[in-house]
Order: sequence, then C-alpha cells, then structure tokens
Amino acid sequence: MRKAADRLLTVFAWTCGLGIVAVAAGIVVFLCLRGAHTLGPRLLFDDVPWWQAVSGQRPVFGGLWPAVVGTLCLTLGAAAVAIPLGVAAGVYLAEYGGRWTRSFSALVDLLAAVPSVVMGLFGFGLILFLRKTLLPEANTCLLLSIFCLALLVLPYPIRTTETALRALSPEMRLLGPSLGLSQWQSLWRIHLPAASRGILSGVILAVGRAAEDTAVILLTGVVANAGVPGGLTAHFEALPFTIYYLAAEHRTGDELDRAFGAAIVLLALTAALFVLATWIERGLHRRWRPQP
Amino acid sequence: MTSIRFVAMALVLGACTGLLLAGCSGGSPQKTGKGDGAAVSAELQRFDGLQGKIDIAGGTAHIPVMEEAAKRIQTAFPEIRITVAGGGSGVGVEKVGQGLVQIGNTGRPLTQKEKDAHGLVTFPFAIDGVAVVVHPSNPVADLTPAAARDICAGEISNWKDAGGDDRPINLYTRDEASGTREVFWEKLLAKGPIAEKANVVASNGAMKVAVTGDRGAIGYIGIGHVDDAVKALKVDGVEASQANASSGKYPVVRKLYMNTKGKPSPLVQAFIDYIRGPEGAKLIEKAGYIPTQDE
Amino acid sequence: MKPEAPARESNGRAASFPRLRVGLQTDRSDAWMRRATLAATVVAAAGVLLILAFLAAAVTPLLVSGEFFPLLGKPWRPFDEPGRYGIGPMVAGSLLLAALAMLLAFPASVGICCFAHGVAPRPLARVALAVVHWMTAVPTVIYGFVAVFLLVPLVRGALAAGTGFSVLSAALTLAVLIVPTVTLLIHVRLEQLGPDAALTCRALGMSPAQTLRHVLLVQARPGLVAGAVLGFCRAVGDTLVALMVAGNAAQLPTSPAGSVRTLAAHIALVVATDWQSPAFRSIAAAAALLFVLTAVLTAAVRRLQRPPTPRGCHAQGG
Repeated sequence: MRKAADRLLTVFAWTCGLGIVAVAAGIVVFLCLRGAHTLGPRLLFDDVPWWQAVSGQRPVFGGLWPAVVGTLCLTLGAAAVAIPLGVAAGVYLAEYGGRWTRSFSALVDLLAAVPSVVMGLFGFGLILFLRKTLLPEANTCLLLSIFCLALLVLPYPIRTTETALRALSPEMRLLGPSLGLSQWQSLWRIHLPAASRGILSGVILAVGRAAEDTAVILLTGVVANAGVPGGLTAHFEALPFTIYYLAAEHRTGDELDRAFGAAIVLLALTAALFVLATWIERGLHRRWRPQP
Repeated sequence: MTSIRFVAMALVLGACTGLLLAGCSGGSPQKTGKGDGAAVSAELQRFDGLQGKIDIAGGTAHIPVMEEAAKRIQTAFPEIRITVAGGGSGVGVEKVGQGLVQIGNTGRPLTQKEKDAHGLVTFPFAIDGVAVVVHPSNPVADLTPAAARDICAGEISNWKDAGGDDRPINLYTRDEASGTREVFWEKLLAKGPIAEKANVVASNGAMKVAVTGDRGAIGYIGIGHVDDAVKALKVDGVEASQANASSGKYPVVRKLYMNTKGKPSPLVQAFIDYIRGPEGAKLIEKAGYIPTQDE
Repeated sequence: MKPEAPARESNGRAASFPRLRVGLQTDRSDAWMRRATLAATVVAAAGVLLILAFLAAAVTPLLVSGEFFPLLGKPWRPFDEPGRYGIGPMVAGSLLLAALAMLLAFPASVGICCFAHGVAPRPLARVALAVVHWMTAVPTVIYGFVAVFLLVPLVRGALAAGTGFSVLSAALTLAVLIVPTVTLLIHVRLEQLGPDAALTCRALGMSPAQTLRHVLLVQARPGLVAGAVLGFCRAVGDTLVALMVAGNAAQLPTSPAGSVRTLAAHIALVVATDWQSPAFRSIAAAAALLFVLTAVLTAAVRRLQRPPTPRGCHAQGG
C-alpha cells in the first residue's frame, strides 16, 4: 500500500512537471500561431514610416506604437520613483534599528498586501478628492498612474534591499570601519555592491510589475485611443490595456490580429526583462559569491 | 560596483528618454505645418488656430465616429489632442458632469435631473436603432416583443421554445452604465426584468464579440454595429434597419448625443460643429448611423 | 572609538556584532545619509497611510450608519426603486473562485516541487524550474487573453451549457496564474532545508518519492502553508482574469457553467464619479473588504513563518 502511494506520487509529480511545461509551451505556441503573421512595422506603426513615428512627426493611429510608448513611460516613471525611494527605505530599515523600524516594516507589509485594483481606486478617489479641495483641474493622467504604480511596486525594492543588507556577513560589515570608512562610505562602496544581487532582484520585480499591471491604470487614466502620451497630465495608452480592450471589443478581424500581435510584443518585452534579470544576476553572483 | 553603476546609469538614461518621449510628443506644434501635406478640407479649417485637448468618454456606440473624426483632425492639426474612451452612457454623463472630460457621449436622452444637477448641454448628432442580435447560424429570424420579454426574463430558456434549434439560450446584457441597455429595456422589454444570470459585457463591441462566438447567444447592439458577423432579428416583422428606425416603423430607436458641461469651449464647439457638419455626416453614415440635428 | 553595547535588532535578538561609529569628521555625511533614508521611509509610510485613510474615509459613513455588514448580503441591483447596492454576490464570487483556483493549483504546485526535488532527473528539474520562473514574469492579461480565445470555447463545448465565460474557465485560468507563485514559495522553502536531509534519506535507501513524502514535504510544511495562503491572496486580489473570463453576472453562482463576478472585477466595472453616491460607497466597501482580507491573510502567514532549521532524518517528525 505504501508502494502504491509512492508510485502515485511519482506519477503525479511527472504529470505536473511535464504539464506545466506543456501549458507554458501551449500559451506561447498559441499566441505565435495566431499572431506571428502580424509582426512587422505595420503592427507598430500602421502605415507611417517608422522614423517619422518615433520622432513624433506624424501620429500613429491603428498601430501599437502609442501603447508601447505609454507602457515605457509608465514603467520608467514608476521605476524612477519607486527604486531610489525603495532602496533608501530598505537601507534605513536594515542599517538603523530604532523604535519605529518595526512599525515601518509592518506598514511596508501592509502596502504589499494592497490589491492592485484597490490601488487604482485609491488613485481615482484621490483625484475626486483633489478636485473638490486643492486642485479643481485635477484629472486622471499619466502622472497619477505613475504615482499609483510606484506605490504598488514600492514594497519590492524595500524588502529585497532590507533582506539583502541584513544577510551580509559580519566580516563584510566590519570591513568598512576597519578601513576607516564612515558609515555612508561603507554603505555606498561595500554594503550596497555586496547586496546588489538582492537589490537588483527587487528592481527587476518592480519594473516587471509596473510594465504588466492593468488594474491600476484602468482606473487612473488609460484609454483606448490617445496617441503617444502628450505630457504628464494627459490620458495615455498602454499595451496591457490595449490587449484587454481589443480582446473584448475588437470590431474587425484586423483588430483581433492586432491584439494577438500586441500579446506577442508584451510577452517578448517581459521575456527580455526576465532574461536580462537572469543574466545580470548571474554576473553579480560570479563577482560576489562568498570566497572559500 | 561597475555593475551597479551600469544599471543605475541605464535606469537614469532610460528615465530621461522616457520623459523626453513623453515631452516631445506633447505640446510642440509640428514645424512642417499640416500633417502629411494633404489638403485641409473646408470643414477642418474651423480648427485652424485652435489648440488644446478634448477628452471624450461615454457611449460605446459613438466610438467609431469619434475615433475617425479624431484621426482626421489630429492628422491635420497635430497640436490638437483628442482622446477617446468608452464606458457607457452613464459614465459619459458622470464624467462630463464632474468635469473629468470635455464631451460625454450618451446613447439616450439626458434626464432633466441630470441636466439640472450638472448644467449639461446636449447635442444630438445621429439616429441609431437597437437591434436584437443572435449568432448567424440561428434559424430564428423574427421575434415578438412578448417573446423577447420572456427570453430576457429567463422564462424561455431553450431556443426550441422560440422557434429555433434545441439549444440553451445564452443571455448577454450590458452593464448598468449603458444607454443601449436602457433604450432596449424601456422600448422592447417595456421595463421588464432581465435575468440575473445574463452575462454582462461592457460595450457594443464586446456584445458583438460575445454573440459572434456563441451559437446560443442573444444580445442587443446598436444597428450601426450590425454586420455579417451577427444576425439582427426582425421585431414583429419589421426589419432592424436604420431606415426603419428613422421612419419610426422599427420601435427601438434612440439618438446619439454629445453632451458638454455648460457652453462648450471654442475647440469643443468646433469639434461638435464638425461632427454635425457635412463631413461629419459622411463619417456618421460610414459608421452605419443616420445623421440628424433635431433634439 | 568605543564600541557600543550590542544593538538590538528589530525582532529583539542581539545584533551579531557591535555597531561601530568611526570618527567625528565624517558625521555630516552619515547624518545626511540617515536623514535621507529616514525621509524615504517616511514617504513610503505616508503613502500607505494615505491609502488607509482613503479607505477609512470612504467606508466610515457606511460603518457609522450600520449599513456596511448588511451590504455584504444584499444583491447588486442599482436600477430597482430604490437601488440596491449590495456586494453579496461579488463576495461569494471572489471567495468561490479563489478557493477553486487554490484547490486546483495547490496539488499541482506540490507536484511540480516534487518533480523538481528528486523525482525527475536534474536537467528536467531545472527546465521545469526555469519555466516556472518565467511564468511568474508573464503578464496577467496574457493569461486572460489566451483563456478567452482558447479555453472559453473549449469549456463551452465541453460543458454544453452556459457561455464558456464561467466559474470553471475562470478557476482554471486563475489556477494557471497562481501555480508559479505557489510553486516558487514551496521551492524556496525546500531549498532552505539544505541538501542534508535528502542525502541522508537517499543514503538510507529511500526512493525520491519516499524522501519527499516522509521527510521533505513534512519539513517544508511552513512553506506549504505560506504557499497556500499567499496563493489564495493572489487569486482573490486578481482583477483581469475574472474580468475577462468569468462572465461578470452579479449573481450567486449556482453551477460551474454559471457566470460570476468578483469584487475586483466589480470595482473595475462600476465607475462612479460622485464620491458621495451609494454606488461609490459600495465600491469602496468592496475595496476595503478585499484589502482587509489580503492584509489579514498575509499578516497571518508572516506570523506563522519560522526560520527553517535544517534537520536530519531524526524521529522528530514535522
């Protein structure tokens, strides 16, 4: 009877292991089958020559370029806000033990537990509130989405920085002071580089999340049709939303094909991010692995 | 250390590029003048010298017209920016009432309460009927209002009881903000109940996608959205066409309205006049509606 | 240069070495660093507090008037006279979908971990782990998208009832979405156990399946619990899959082929711009409920997490 249970577990494990690979492959194959034929400059730029589209000379309608730019702006904006803030906060939580550290830590955990749609509703509510009080002209826009996305991904760099710094060995921590470096110098020149692998994983997580999140931007300013973002206070397009919108509401077969193309583009983008992350992490691991 | 420097610099560079892109596509008017050099029609001339942005939201039936107009205007005058969103008539009223958008589209007339509460001004621009649609393979071709009421209430749940194949009826309805839903509910269902189990979709386009993919489906969309992918049923023998809707023979009719909060700004007024002008009329007809100007 | 007494870490244990302060002339940059990092932490904390304040402000009128809990039972029928803005069906929908998804995903995750930790040869195990890692990077909208065009027609045909946009399709898609997360949580825990336990068991002649069943999975139980709870949280908090695949009918689901709406999809669908209207309050109540649920579950998991103590195959039991 015990042997049967072991057999069952083995068979089950094989099924699951092969199954998950099959599912992943199935997703990629399905998207490529239905969408590969759309790939090309036409998908991104419609019939506008690419140099004119990229330089902003001619607007693109019916192509993915505005959505791609929108996603890039969102991701880079949210990263530019969240990563320095997050790493700094993580440094504080790891390096300074004060009575507030535990409360701050708890708050960060609370932030990590906020579902993305609640974050989006918060952003929308914030605008409604601002309209009634300080800024009657406030509106949902790129800036609001960047702010909300930054809040959403903030826990990742905070947590990974804190964990990575705390995990440094005592020898590493004594190295700076033993050489006469101040705390700041030790941090900047020794601790952070030594913890860079962990910090970077938080950075990559944050960037990946900001690129793919849809619920937040759904409520804070993304629209189906806006062209390349016209500044921080404008509505904008984004790839994940374009995919969702075209999937639900495509009017022609062409639009559906564009949705498949967009799905492949987004998948390629996140896959590239993933490969980059793995590559950098391997490089850092080689540099910083503990010496025997 | 070099890896961190490299990554940090990459991030900073990337952020700069991103913000640059956002900026350079923003306000700076194009030096080369009018877009791709195509002649600017007399209708579009009314936008000459105007700049700013128009945010449009609301009815999803309006979207094809709005998008096409936005494309033409922005191609000719790149310093004007127009964004188009959906959401349904209710969202249109709320957003324009709160001042979040400049034009709120509705597929139903505004109530007096809405007009008073927000000071809205309404501009009808097209006539559209609401058709009951099923999958093209469905043999049923005609529906009485009574049968429609029974189906939507869930009392008839198989197509064979309505003259079709032996197949369960899958109901699709619109979300609460939809003007199309309201017109359909008032005029065909006589305010009868819609079964709770009906699938909810968020726009005319989404309804069409849903009905196209499901052989047992029944739903409702604006006649302007009807094409070969779906089959529009006759109501009491009257075909669901815009001509019948306009003449009054087809009972389920509504107008499409643009609404603004108070008197529109010059740019918004120009847009409204463009839609209600001759070139706009061609766009409206291309989208499948009948242009109109009456209240 | 005087070493201070061993500082206490925030969890009460002594730091592993005394904190040293070096020199006076560098105090300025140290003070600057401390201020800057403190400011960053305060900003982050302020952000969280702002969100909490918003939710509290939106929900307090409901709590005060005693309407909050009744809302959880009422149906959503805004066009009745008077309109009813209850979120009962959505609460049921969220919990049901998340529970079903976990029911499907948890065994699968355990199976994949077993596959990667002994049952399969090393190269295959690494492939599976790499695939799982990659899947965590796949955007949610892609899962929903593929589900709409691949899974929904299959379910429609297979069930021969309903529209395909159903509890079953959504649960399957959610399960695929959360399997990578849960798998990685369990996998990390298994890795932390170290190779000793597994090696000892193999040395004793146990097969991989026996090792896993009797030793590894038992010792990894905190990871299993964390995986289950956090996977459930992820499923409850997800918006897009339910929005695209579950049908969005505001009703209590009665069959796997029926359409259902989750709290998250409800918030995304209903746009209410008047923040004093009952519709907006109802949405805010849904948001507060979702947040409280995920916060409580996450906190509970953190409490239960204990640092792993790699043990050999003693008779200690899990």
